[in-house]
Amino acid sequence: MEEIMKQFVEYPSDPYTSIAKWKENTKKKVIGIFPMWIPEEIIHAAGMLPVVMWRSNEAITWGYAHVPPYNCAINKSVVDDAVKGKLKFMDGMVFLRQCLQSQEVPFIVENNRPPAFEEYLYLPPIYHGDKASKDFTRDEFKRLRKRLEEFGGEKITDEKLNESIKLYNKNRSLLRKLYDLRKENPGILRGRDVLRIVWSSMLMPKEEHNKLLESLLSEMEKNGYKTAKGKKVFLSGCLCIHPQLELLDMIEDLGMLVVDDDIYVGYRYFANDAEITDDPIGALMERHFIKTPVDPARGEVEVNWGKELIGKVKKLNADGIITLLTKYCPPHLCYYPDIKVELANAGIPEVLIEVEHEVISLESIKTRLQSFREMIGGR
Amino acid sequence: MNTQYKINKLDTSGVGPLVDRHWRELREAKEKGMKIAWCAGPMFVYAYATPNIASHFMAGYAAYCGGRGMADEVLEAAERYGELRDTCSYHRLHTGMAAMIMNDWPVSNPQVLLPMPDLLIGGRFCTEMSHYMEAIHRRFGIKAVTIEIPSARSREDLPRLEKFLTDQVKETLIPAIEEVSGSKFDEENMRSILRPWKETCIIRNKCWEFFKLKPSPWTLWDYGVSIAPVFYAMGKPESLEYYNNLLKQLEERTEKNIPAVHPDGEKYRLYWDGWLPWSFLGKFIRMMIPYGAIPIAGRYPWEFFPHPEDINTEADDIIHEWIRLIYTSPNTLSYHDGPWGGQEHIEDLIQTYSIDGMLFFSSNSKYRKKIRHTRDCH
Ligand code: SF4
Ligand code: SF4
Repeated sequence: MEEIMKQFVEYPSDPYTSIAKWKENTKKKVIGIFPMWIPEEIIHAAGMLPVVMWRSNEAITWGYAHVPPYNCAINKSVVDDAVKGKLKFMDGMVFLRQCLQSQEVPFIVENNRPPAFEEYLYLPPIYHGDKASKDFTRDEFKRLRKRLEEFGGEKITDEKLNESIKLYNKNRSLLRKLYDLRKENPGILRGRDVLRIVWSSMLMPKEEHNKLLESLLSEMEKNGYKTAKGKKVFLSGCLCIHPQLELLDMIEDLGMLVVDDDIYVGYRYFANDAEITDDPIGALMERHFIKTPVDPARGEVEVNWGKELIGKVKKLNADGIITLLTKYCPPHLCYYPDIKVELANAGIPEVLIEVEHEVISLESIKTRLQSFREMIGGR
Repeated sequence: MNTQYKINKLDTSGVGPLVDRHWRELREAKEKGMKIAWCAGPMFVYAYATPNIASHFMAGYAAYCGGRGMADEVLEAAERYGELRDTCSYHRLHTGMAAMIMNDWPVSNPQVLLPMPDLLIGGRFCTEMSHYMEAIHRRFGIKAVTIEIPSARSREDLPRLEKFLTDQVKETLIPAIEEVSGSKFDEENMRSILRPWKETCIIRNKCWEFFKLKPSPWTLWDYGVSIAPVFYAMGKPESLEYYNNLLKQLEERTEKNIPAVHPDGEKYRLYWDGWLPWSFLGKFIRMMIPYGAIPIAGRYPWEFFPHPEDINTEADDIIHEWIRLIYTSPNTLSYHDGPWGGQEHIEDLIQTYSIDGMLFFSSNSKYRKKIRHTRDCH
């Protein structure tokens, strides 16, 4: 088990070196994708490795010549990494406009360290499931496919695309299985380990990740599920970035156990499969329009995040919600007050923690979490 | 000896009554049996062109509140509701106002409480524009139509983005307007608004020509204050009258050699990037004037349809014609407003208006145009 965990940890500990090493060994191309909506399957079907861009652990320096400090963490971090040349091992990058800030990143990257391949997808958020948005999204995915074919020199057939979708669906179903196990057996894995398992899936080849996950699940089954005692909490939010590992440790050290989440480097990443059909691009398009887990960047008015959370917490019999808000993330910032009101009306305890890039004050967070812990049932 | 520079503002006082009238009509609309639409982004025009709908341009509310000394009170109401400070101030002003109505909170000047809308139109030009619509929808259950308006990365992308926006508008927005207004969307009515509006924009462009003069007879601030008539009184005679008056003043000044900066004109002509800080225009100009510097051009004030000659007010598909202005027309708002076209647009403004220096204004609570157009300097 420890041996398996070590492998999950390798990529997230130093993604720059691990991915560059993988590239060196395989002689394959690496394509960085900006969170959260780009369909990796198309890139995989082109014989390349899609990696989800991440928040680095370094302080932002050169990046501030291009973006103000009040941009969100992923935005600042990717810009900083890119202009410093730390992402030069990426052969290509794919960006999108899911929020105003994400629209700015490709422009800065292009002007400073343009990758060999770059694409910008105008992926629409969900608007009433209208035909216009669906047709347009389908065309955007087709365009990505064509551009990748030109870049890689290989045709992306429907068969290849379906193979990739199958592989990715498998990864998602294994991750969901792990999450289901955690729901049933709180504490079977530390929060930091769960995070690194999901994060490594965003960085390493899915073929390898699937093998590792299968070994982990079978090991766990063999050894039995050791649970832990603590107040059950649900983690919500944290769009586009991974929260600090220390933060997850702190939650546990204070006697709380994360039983489920809807964070991006978590359930949000693997929630939805694409169907296997004879129109794989269509299947990816349909997946893009699935409305849950509710995504505040999607402009969707027919589903409600607060209500979704209430349903989840009740089903899990959890004691409360810890909201992780990526600082300066307008979609979440604008939605949050309504979630708070919904949860308060439903009598569900909740606490808000802002997750920044480097200036996270763990002491003040500890105080907030301590009082939250007392609120849901003192120690 | 150091020159003592002084600003000589143009007379823009005609804007006040025109804007006041807009707000008064909006407040009285319900009594007249009209429906109300709150609109953010350029899709407002379809509601505006619907006779029994009164439109509220959400971007103007900040200036309206500020003008009545109520911005702080409304923002405080937003925070009392739970809004977080890092959201855009336009978002908080509207949700703050809604919170005051919803909770019946006391308000020092009830004029800032607008009638609640029957329809919310969020043109997602800036993504935040849909967020405040969604928030109000969640809180009041008001019908919200949010339309994606992507900024273009390249000119090649413009035609397909134009089609995408046109399809969305026809498929989603127009039926919603028809449902709320109870009548079929009247394309001829839209034409009848665009005709005089085009005429107004042509006069307004003549005014812009005076920015090319050295010394300049007016500043970007004078023009900024004068933006309102093209929106608040779109297609109305008073709007044309306002710009004719402005043009007359500029002609007179030029004839008599009266510059915007005393005694002998500006020393530095500045480009201003970002939105105009309505509440701080005076503060900023007072900072610049001692150096003989004045703002002359900026991307934001040039956003609003600088090529009126290109508008075909008789177009068969007038719904599409408006969207063409945003995408494939020479105005190409969606390209110029995004980062890529922005750079091109800025370069053009610098040349055209002989700019000496640039100021990039961005603030935490107004998200658009935050990036600096920097190239690699490492
Ligand atoms: S964290 Fe929020 S603001 Fe930042 S890129 Fe993601 S959605 Fe946009
Ligand atoms: S962020 Fe700026 S552009 Fe967007 S709605 Fe707010 S004020 Fe307008």
